[in-house]
Amino acid sequence: MIVNAELFVNDLPGQLIGSLEPISMVEGNILGVVHNREKIIDHRICVNVTFEVDDKRLERLKELWQAKDIVISNLGSVHETYNMDYILIGDINAAYIDSLLRKISEATTLDEINVRHSSKSIKTASHTSLISVKARYEENLDKIDAILRKECKQANVTYIRGV
Amino acid sequence: MKAFICGFGTIGQSVAKVIAEKQEFFKDRYGETLLVVGALDSRSFATDPNGLDVDVLLERKKQKGTVGEQVYREIKDALDSVDFDILIEVTATDINNGGVGLENIKYALKHDKDVVTANKGPLALRYKELMTLADEHNRYLLFEGTVGGAMPIINLNKYDLAGQKIKSIRGIFNGTCNYILTKMDSGQPFEQALKEAQQQGYAEADPTNDVEGYDSACKVVILANSIFGRNVTFKDVDITGITTINSDAIALAKSNDMVIRLIGEVSATKLEVAPRLIPRGHPLSLPGTLNTAEIVTEYAGPITVSGIGAGGIETASAILSDLIDIMDERIGD
Repeated sequence: MIVNAELFVNDLPGQLIGSLEPISMVEGNILGVVHNREKIIDHRICVNVTFEVDDKRLERLKELWQAKDIVISNLGSVHETYNMDYILIGDINAAYIDSLLRKISEATTLDEINVRHSSKSIKTASHTSLISVKARYEENLDKIDAILRKECKQANVTYIRGV
Repeated sequence: MKAFICGFGTIGQSVAKVIAEKQEFFKDRYGETLLVVGALDSRSFATDPNGLDVDVLLERKKQKGTVGEQVYREIKDALDSVDFDILIEVTATDINNGGVGLENIKYALKHDKDVVTANKGPLALRYKELMTLADEHNRYLLFEGTVGGAMPIINLNKYDLAGQKIKSIRGIFNGTCNYILTKMDSGQPFEQALKEAQQQGYAEADPTNDVEGYDSACKVVILANSIFGRNVTFKDVDITGITTINSDAIALAKSNDMVIRLIGEVSATKLEVAPRLIPRGHPLSLPGTLNTAEIVTEYAGPITVSGIGAGGIETASAILSDLIDIMDERIGD
């Protein structure tokens, strides 16, 4: 996970390095550091640091900072999301799409899902739907792909996915 | 060296023209020329052990519809009638059973001839058997012209990317489908776009092989076997064509700033031809009849190549590179 942390360290030499060391100790990867000398509270200077770390090691990191007398003012996580779009064409209706989404929800977790339907094609009996999803992990997209591929094949629905 | 051109349609005629035009190049590079000593079409053939006059062949084909005066009962009789080193096999592709192309390639390899071909059918159906046969007879079987026409892809992977693991290749391998889908991007329905493709000469009267994705599937199989070392055939490809793509799908894609393209994808585990949603500006969103391929490599990352995917002279350019490859090996450059 990617984490944004706002820390306050004592205004003494070596304190900035001291605040970053614990991140390395938990095998985190520092993406950016801002030493915010204008923001001083109670003789402590603000440090904003963005880093990537295994979420299981975040608690250990907090302990290391606290042991070094570093104040954690704010700790927020940013998640990378994976987007994918799918178009389905065939004899499908809203109920069919709902049933597909239910199967997807049972198999995996999605951050966001949007569905748009076209009006029925004039010349044919087919409907077209666009499903856009946002997932936290790439593997989730593989699961969705497997479900849609199988279900669409069974229902003789054309399934178009992104790249 | 001596070559026999089997198939004298658009590609065969273009190959003959290119060989005639490159005589000085062959002389400079090898100290000898490449003679066309035989040419054959579906009804006739012509041979001359001292080299045929290509202009005469082309003129005769234009005037009379046949390449030669001699007729044959079996192609092997024509092949046996003159001594040659390289068979250039460019008869029409048959993806059901490989057609005469398969028989011609096998016959030539068994008789210790090198083979250059642009015929997809035999390689999509019997790749392993043919390569084994070529190895057994210590012959070359080269086929750059089978995938992507003028777009270099087989030799690019074989030589320029040698040693690197190729992670995946995906691309547009059928110019006809790409033309149709590009026309649909501008609002034309599928049927009209197909008709226009036929009128422009991009699609056959029976467009099944193109629009059902079979042609792209043949190319995907050839890439899988030759670059990924897989042992697959046409029936192993997961194929979806473009015939069900409608205007609504195009419009929905457009509203998300995307286009639909027929993409062939091959890797160590994937073997697929299917319409895919491509963001506008992505290398695979290319319009018109062009072919393109995105090769994901171990060290160089993604490499994209594109070029004219069909046409006589364009395919002849790929065949020329294979001929030079063989002559380099047999004569030395």
